[in-house]
Amino acid sequence: MMHAVELRLKPQPEVLERVLRVTRHRGFTVTELTMTANEDSTLKVNFDVESERVIGLLTHQLTKLFDVLDCQVLTSSTVPVGAETPASVSA
Amino acid sequence: MESGQKMRGADAVIKVLAAHGVTTVFGYPGGAIMPIYDALYGHPVEHLLSRHEQGAAFAAVGYARASGKTGVCFATSGPGATNLITSLSDALLDSVPVVAITGQVSTAVIGTDAFQEIDVLGMSLSCTKHSFMVTDINELIPTLYKAFEIAASGRPGPVLVDIPKDIQIAELEYKTPLLTVTEEPAPEVTAIDAARELLQQAKKPILYVGGGVGMAGAVDHLRQFIDKTGIPSVATLKGLGAIAHGTKGYLGMLGMHGGKAANLAVQSCDLLIVVGARFDDRVTGRLATFAGNAKVLHLDIDIAEINKLRQADVAISADFRQVLPALAASLDMQAELTQWQQEVEDLYREHQWDYQHPGDLIYAPAMLRRLANKLPEDSVVSCDVGQHQMWVAQHMWFRRPEDHLSSAGLGTMGFGLPAAIGAQVARPDATVVTVSGDGSFMMNVQELTTIKRRKLPVKILLIDNQKLGMVKQWQQLFFEQRYSETDLSDNPDFVLMASAFDIPGRTIHRAEEVEAALDEMLATPGPFMLHVAIDDAFNVWPLVPPGACNSDMMDQMEKQT
Repeated sequence: MMHAVELRLKPQPEVLERVLRVTRHRGFTVTELTMTANEDSTLKVNFDVESERVIGLLTHQLTKLFDVLDCQVLTSSTVPVGAETPASVSA
Repeated sequence: MESGQKMRGADAVIKVLAAHGVTTVFGYPGGAIMPIYDALYGHPVEHLLSRHEQGAAFAAVGYARASGKTGVCFATSGPGATNLITSLSDALLDSVPVVAITGQVSTAVIGTDAFQEIDVLGMSLSCTKHSFMVTDINELIPTLYKAFEIAASGRPGPVLVDIPKDIQIAELEYKTPLLTVTEEPAPEVTAIDAARELLQQAKKPILYVGGGVGMAGAVDHLRQFIDKTGIPSVATLKGLGAIAHGTKGYLGMLGMHGGKAANLAVQSCDLLIVVGARFDDRVTGRLATFAGNAKVLHLDIDIAEINKLRQADVAISADFRQVLPALAASLDMQAELTQWQQEVEDLYREHQWDYQHPGDLIYAPAMLRRLANKLPEDSVVSCDVGQHQMWVAQHMWFRRPEDHLSSAGLGTMGFGLPAAIGAQVARPDATVVTVSGDGSFMMNVQELTTIKRRKLPVKILLIDNQKLGMVKQWQQLFFEQRYSETDLSDNPDFVLMASAFDIPGRTIHRAEEVEAALDEMLATPGPFMLHVAIDDAFNVWPLVPPGACNSDMMDQMEKQT
């Protein structure tokens, strides 16, 4: 499964390392990632992950991190996030 | 010192510790933490010098587990900090509140590969609940307060604070930060109702109790729940002591080396009530067949444990001290459970341990049972990892979870001796016994010096089969008896070695010597080493083979001599 996840993070220097370490260790592969600064000085991270595991296993672990303020799964699908659905696959 | 007074960062560190009620710190000094050790000099907060930072952090773990307070340890930068990693990992897997404070090279040279510099913050990410590096003197005190709060709240765990040397010597004005105390969540009424419905429908419920009960301070609440409902119970390695010895329907430890009655009862239950446990692989055996016909009611303060390995029918992530009384209220199951209680009682009677062992050799399970029966009320038993650890779990009994210190999640050899030191410091009037094996004992043997230095009355029961026994047992059973690197017949003379640290001791070889030797050990006012030579043919039984269902236990195979 592919999932698009959005995080709001405290602006700590190591915060992205924490997120990526947990993501890898819990069995998810990052396929795309962007990070931007919000106006309130928090960080916004959007990333796509791929795994056979249930996404809740990752989001529960990310939510436990003290520098993670918010964690949302935006979309989940069986094809890469953002890729066009092949004609042979029904929606 | 009053709030608002100017002082060095190092002095503020010690003041924050004192403000949190810390009376003892375990540690080892070095270059990058010298200002903090200077602040400690002559201060009422005492320091216990270990002889290896791993020993210091394990002592902090032992202190925390035996007392329920947060343990604190110090180490310097570089190798001092790397030596903490194993103990912090142990504390993470066993949810132990520890604050580790490490010195770091000055901020100006961080990232230049300075002497004794390593990226401690980076290393800490996978072995702590949280970690900080302080780079602003104004953040030092709030960070330390946060560290104590995080370590002890929710699911406890280790927190590391890395403090560069220039921060330690920088001046600040001491101000107590405003505290925001994290309240544990209360259970939702709808969840309690759903859980109660599950309980009322169940014909064969069983409690699977883990270390979370003791960590939550909910032992009495659990016992009252059991008294009220009459539901049978089993415990994990860390859950031992949560249920009183002799409680009707309590079947002891479950899992790979659990009792037969415990495993068989869990396999036939129709409702598994999981309280502060996490479906560890050493508990479940083949997960797909674990309590295969049961619904699951999962209670855990850590929501990440819910549905991680087994889907729960109802889950509650809230303070056990509220959940258990709320569930017990208006629930009267005793009458409906009579048949199941009888079934459990029959299992208990059918599979009781047999301590009748013919021959002259010392049978460790019988010796440990005898020791448990001799220990005074205020006692702590720590152990290392291996066969002796499982014999302790199977054959000893404990009044409270804080009386049994065992490295459960990480399974760290070398845990027992320093953990016993920490426990003895936390509970100076308690009888503290570390049960070790000849393999594990050598892993942190340097801490005998700590016992000598502080004249700590720790008793060492060293069970010696001249083997890495548990590995050898698996080689025997699953690796065609190819005994690769498990022979320890070149062990030192342990009693002679203990005497070099002013610790008296004796060796016993025969069953008839056990009674008097245990009495001598317990009656000795100071430390004592009882070295027990056993035959390496004795293995730990029963055993659920790796990947097997918990009902498929292997039983005793060795010829009894």
